[in-house]
Amino acid sequence: MQQSIVVALFLLLQGAGIGHVSANPYPSTYEASAHSPYVLVSQAIDAGEGEGWFSGWVRVENNRITAVNTMDVPLPEGIEIRDVGEQFVTPGIIDVHSHLGDYPAPSYRAHSDGNEATSPVTAEVWAEHSVWPQDPQFPLALAGGVTTLQILPGSANLFGGRSVTLKNVWSRTVQGMKFPDAPYGLKMACGENPKRVYGSKGRSPATRMGNFAGYRKTWIQAREYQRAWQDYEQSLVEYEEKLAAASDESADADAGKEPPRAPKPPKRDIQMETLVGALEGDILVHNHCYRADEMAQIIDLSKEFGYQVTAFHHAVEAYKIGDLLAENNICSALWADWWRFKLESFDGVAANVPMVHAAGACAIVHSDSPNGIQRLNQEAAKALAAGRRLGLEISDSEAITWLTKNAAYALGVLDQTGTLAPGKMADIVVWTANPLSVYAQAAQVMVDGVVHYDRSSSERPITDFELGHREEVWK
Amino acid sequence: MKMMDGLRGIALLATTLFAMSAIAVDVLVENAFLPGTGRAKGEPVTILISEGRIQSIGAEVTANDVERFDAGGAIVTPGYIDSGTSVGLAEVSGLGTSRDGRVEEVRNAAGFNVWTALNEGSSLIPFAPTDGVTRGVITPSADEANFAGESALVRFVKGDKFLAQASLAQHLYLREWNRRGAGGSRGNALQLVLEDLDEAARFLRDQRQYNSNKARPFSLSTRELRALGRVIKGERLLVVHVDRAADIRKVVTSFERFEDVKLIIAGGVEAWRLAPMLAERSIPVLLNVLDNVPESFDRLGARLDSATILDKAGVPIAFMSTTPYSEFRSLTQAAGVAVANGLPWDRALRALTEGPAEIWGIEGGRLAEGEVADLVFWDGDPIEIMSAPQAVMIDGRWVDLTTRQQQLSERYRDLLKLK
Repeated sequence: MQQSIVVALFLLLQGAGIGHVSANPYPSTYEASAHSPYVLVSQAIDAGEGEGWFSGWVRVENNRITAVNTMDVPLPEGIEIRDVGEQFVTPGIIDVHSHLGDYPAPSYRAHSDGNEATSPVTAEVWAEHSVWPQDPQFPLALAGGVTTLQILPGSANLFGGRSVTLKNVWSRTVQGMKFPDAPYGLKMACGENPKRVYGSKGRSPATRMGNFAGYRKTWIQAREYQRAWQDYEQSLVEYEEKLAAASDESADADAGKEPPRAPKPPKRDIQMETLVGALEGDILVHNHCYRADEMAQIIDLSKEFGYQVTAFHHAVEAYKIGDLLAENNICSALWADWWRFKLESFDGVAANVPMVHAAGACAIVHSDSPNGIQRLNQEAAKALAAGRRLGLEISDSEAITWLTKNAAYALGVLDQTGTLAPGKMADIVVWTANPLSVYAQAAQVMVDGVVHYDRSSSERPITDFELGHREEVWK
Repeated sequence: MKMMDGLRGIALLATTLFAMSAIAVDVLVENAFLPGTGRAKGEPVTILISEGRIQSIGAEVTANDVERFDAGGAIVTPGYIDSGTSVGLAEVSGLGTSRDGRVEEVRNAAGFNVWTALNEGSSLIPFAPTDGVTRGVITPSADEANFAGESALVRFVKGDKFLAQASLAQHLYLREWNRRGAGGSRGNALQLVLEDLDEAARFLRDQRQYNSNKARPFSLSTRELRALGRVIKGERLLVVHVDRAADIRKVVTSFERFEDVKLIIAGGVEAWRLAPMLAERSIPVLLNVLDNVPESFDRLGARLDSATILDKAGVPIAFMSTTPYSEFRSLTQAAGVAVANGLPWDRALRALTEGPAEIWGIEGGRLAEGEVADLVFWDGDPIEIMSAPQAVMIDGRWVDLTTRQQQLSERYRDLLKLK
């Protein structure tokens, strides 16, 4: 529906002679560079589908994967063969929860651009307007195999604002990093953070019940805003019909009759536009929420107002309600083992991710950390090991989906990346060993088929900030 | 698979033994392997434990009338030593009211001893052995303070055995954000610290006059003077938490006039830049390997291979966890990441065991006759991230590896019938 508001806006502004208003005013300008076609051959490929390692090859042409086959299918001829032998191949790693760029390094107040903590509802802010593309943490994440990442506003607010999904490529502009056509996300937050931030300022919310009152009041406003625009669209249609009818009839016949009056549009409200986008499913809801009981309440909230929660983030107690999450088709984006740093994280368990997976729900390993994002493969390994020790039967390959397929699904880009399949972006990592080993390193990272990181040749993007500061480090 | 069955066997056996050995009894460990120099197993070994210590260790050890423990072919390592953690000082790090590890709003808190705040009943204690960590240095933290107080050494067992050594080292913080108490300049912070030490030195010299109230007045209280006096006499180690190379150099050179001060650098993100200088003076560095983000101008040189550079130069190193997020697992993970970035495997293992034991001058960290019997039996490579201890002994006693997390996981695994 965001489309329909946009169409309405377009008509409105044209009618008013203001000109065109874009649905996408800050569009992606990312274009993958050209590369020569090649075939990547490996004895251990995991396509990200959870179906196991196989010996085979991946054909990459014009930035896309054009074939994925086992060794039973003969290698094509007349194309460069890059045989990585026993090195492992997976889809590029996707982090659904990052603040790179909006909390860049070095981490000073002047760089702290992630929380518009001035009001509990700031759905109008967009994380991309905070992202600093020269954040030296982007190339560190790339060295960990991360090719796509969602940058979210922080969790101080009930409605924190819009997220943005980026490709992990060096660019002078944020627009040059934006994942083409990825849906936006809306960051929401439960629990301690909003009530602490506003309660300490002597205003609502100061309690968890205050949090919920805040969500409900805001969604009611969003529904009203949506209805106002729907009414306007309806009257616009009627107006267009009357105009058409009037022009069909002879001018003389209706002489003296007043011409139809153009309906007056509601005032644009960018906060409400984001919320309506979420209600209509065009903007995906990413909800920071730790406790199981609060997640269950948020599920009821989403039903009360008719929207879908795409993913609970952090969700340290997701393991307690895996069934509920599966039933409601909600992903859980989780740390492997972070716990006890705040009271609502005290019941965190290392088997959280595998327990959610075993309950049949969508499990994702996320970082929320410039350190963790460099080692998401190790985080998945820790979680997998904890699950196995609990007696859960989960394969290595299923654990890889926590970093790839499931993450792409939660970002609404699974049709573009997240698995190795013909037609998808060639976002690929070659690992020196099984990525579930602590000794594994990303040997090469391809974004859209282009090698952006090569461990052996020190090929990697260097941000402006690093020049004159970190030469010795990357030598 | 066969390996796994064997390990399940030892886990069962360990449970039985735990039930049997509430007090330390003599145990003969059979069918265990020493760590090799690579990731593979080393030599097979038999270990006799008596009175909480390793009585004998070797290929030919035998004993009668003892409990026998079949390690099932597992690798045995000394218990790991965490050179910096806060367990026992806070149940929930983000809750100010549950946190006792920091004295706020003073510049000099040298007289604070963390052991006075330690909670020997903390539910966090049993987590350490589940990651192979048997001993740890509980470190005071600092915000405005420079001298933050004295750390304590613990064994990770609940109850009266938790505290192993009440006072281990004095901790001094000279990082970018530890200068507020000194008026906002790190230079002034260092000057004031040196003046504090000079004053403590005068206190030591003029003890008699002080006692008879004839000494020139001191700006520090007796408690601080005594604490810093212990540092000057070398009775306590001095751990300086500092990251920038320029600051590390100033600390090293300006402290040289205190001849008996035993200096350790903690954090030391840019210590690698001064590796030869630190090696020459045998100044150890405590590292958090995973700390490789240039998150301040003090840390522009952050890199994953600093352990490799320091070790190669001959600087003694040890690892510390110091994260309230994943705690002890981050210690073994750090060792693994260091290996992936060039640190030889046996050196990484050493930085978890013998390395910290030497740096801190404490028992543990070695499998040798007469050593404390802190033993960890691993289900795989003891540094690999998916490995875990199957059985752990601290001071010759088997440790119950049940944690609150495990209880929670099992409750919901069963409630949701997960498999």
